[in-house]
Amino acid sequence: MRKNELERFNYGQRVVHWVVALSFLLLMFTGLAFSYPSLTWINTLLGGGAAARVIHPWAGIVFSVGLVFMFFMWVKSMFLNKGDREWLAAIKAYARHDRERIPPAGKYNGGQKIFFWLQILLGIFLLLSGIPLWFPEVYGSGLLVTMRFLHFVLALGAGLFLIIHVYLGTIAYPGTLGAMLWGSVTRGWARLHHPLWYKEKAGH
Amino acid sequence: MNLPANNLAIKRISASAEPATPGIREMPEIAKLVDISRCIGCKACEIACKEWNDLKVEPTYNFGSYQSHVDLSPDTWLLMRFNELEIDGNLNWFITKDACLHCEEPGCLYACPAEGAIVQYENGIVDFNQENCIGCQYCVAGCPFDIPRFSKETRRVYKCNMCIDRVEAGLEPACVKTCPTNAIAYGTKDDMLALADQKLTILNNRGFAKAAIYDPEGVGGTHMMYVVPHGDHLPDYGLPEKPVAQQGAMAALAVFKRIGAYMFGAGILATALHYLAVGPESPDSDNGGG
Repeated sequence: MRKNELERFNYGQRVVHWVVALSFLLLMFTGLAFSYPSLTWINTLLGGGAAARVIHPWAGIVFSVGLVFMFFMWVKSMFLNKGDREWLAAIKAYARHDRERIPPAGKYNGGQKIFFWLQILLGIFLLLSGIPLWFPEVYGSGLLVTMRFLHFVLALGAGLFLIIHVYLGTIAYPGTLGAMLWGSVTRGWARLHHPLWYKEKAGH
Repeated sequence: MNLPANNLAIKRISASAEPATPGIREMPEIAKLVDISRCIGCKACEIACKEWNDLKVEPTYNFGSYQSHVDLSPDTWLLMRFNELEIDGNLNWFITKDACLHCEEPGCLYACPAEGAIVQYENGIVDFNQENCIGCQYCVAGCPFDIPRFSKETRRVYKCNMCIDRVEAGLEPACVKTCPTNAIAYGTKDDMLALADQKLTILNNRGFAKAAIYDPEGVGGTHMMYVVPHGDHLPDYGLPEKPVAQQGAMAALAVFKRIGAYMFGAGILATALHYLAVGPESPDSDNGGG
């Protein structure tokens, strides 16, 4: 945490976030290489396709365990309230950076809360659909094919989620990334993006 | 992608975006024809298979059957199965030559996500290239005949390759060569189909009214066919009545993947266009007041 800044994520939260993030990247890159033979070189860099086949499910376990931690760390703050619904109704204004029309958000805005729940759901179903793919000889061909479709579609959803998450957390809103690196944000950032949280935190 | 440097023209390559390079050589489809009624259960074919392919001998035990081993394994690509069954008070032996049938529409190849790990040659042989195999075992689930076996030691999958090195040199597979009763015939698929018809007539004349040729349509026919005396007892031979390769589902998955790739690209493009349209959103000043 930096001096004069407001603490946004504590040490434990940051560690869990990066464990989940790195395991997700590993899952995404090996998964892409499994899905697209033109990307086989990614797995070659990771020690070959056979090694990637061993790594992927175990990275999935790390990811899932991390997600469980995330769930319990953040679930209390993630229930939608009236203000969040107003925020979501004004999502177009948010996308246009139309400050006047964006209802004030608390520590997490409505979009972040929706994303939290979507991510938890994606994680659960990715894990459930991934288990038959881990042990294909145990499951019949029909179930395996269904799970390959499901796992792919869910992974695509998670990939699209990642694009938006990284974009919003970095170049779209400068000053955000620090919250996940050293744990704090500037007062100006807090007042702009999460005014209700700022008031509560700064005691105004 | 590493493909074996043999002289056979390739028809299909697993997980390959490109179709196999069309060959100019005329290579008829080959087939083995197993006449179960001629099998005396000597298992010389099992030994010939092990010897030719340099496969480890696996210790076995008496588990109350005439069968040598309980199951196929990475080191056992051919297993004569002996299923005993009473029909009308008579003991019947349902013998099956359990090994790869070399499907025309190979479920293993369609299921395989590793480019070049499974190839099908113009002559019909379906072969695994272990150097491209990632050990996912989708082929194990994709095979309607439960043939490929995963080795925990090498983390690769193995099965009968119809002695491709012999076939390439113009020889018959080792099991065919060694069979003392000619229960296994080998030749072009057309010749074997004609032979199967003759054998069927012979069996019918001997009183096997339900005798049948096993060359299932669901997998486009196979390059190891059977003539079975009891065609109404296919499951007792361990032969599925309607095997399918699920090529339709796999083709649909390929379409999904293409759409997915576009969507992923569109997602990145959309964020870039959004950034260009509205730019970053920063606090006006960073002193924050407060």
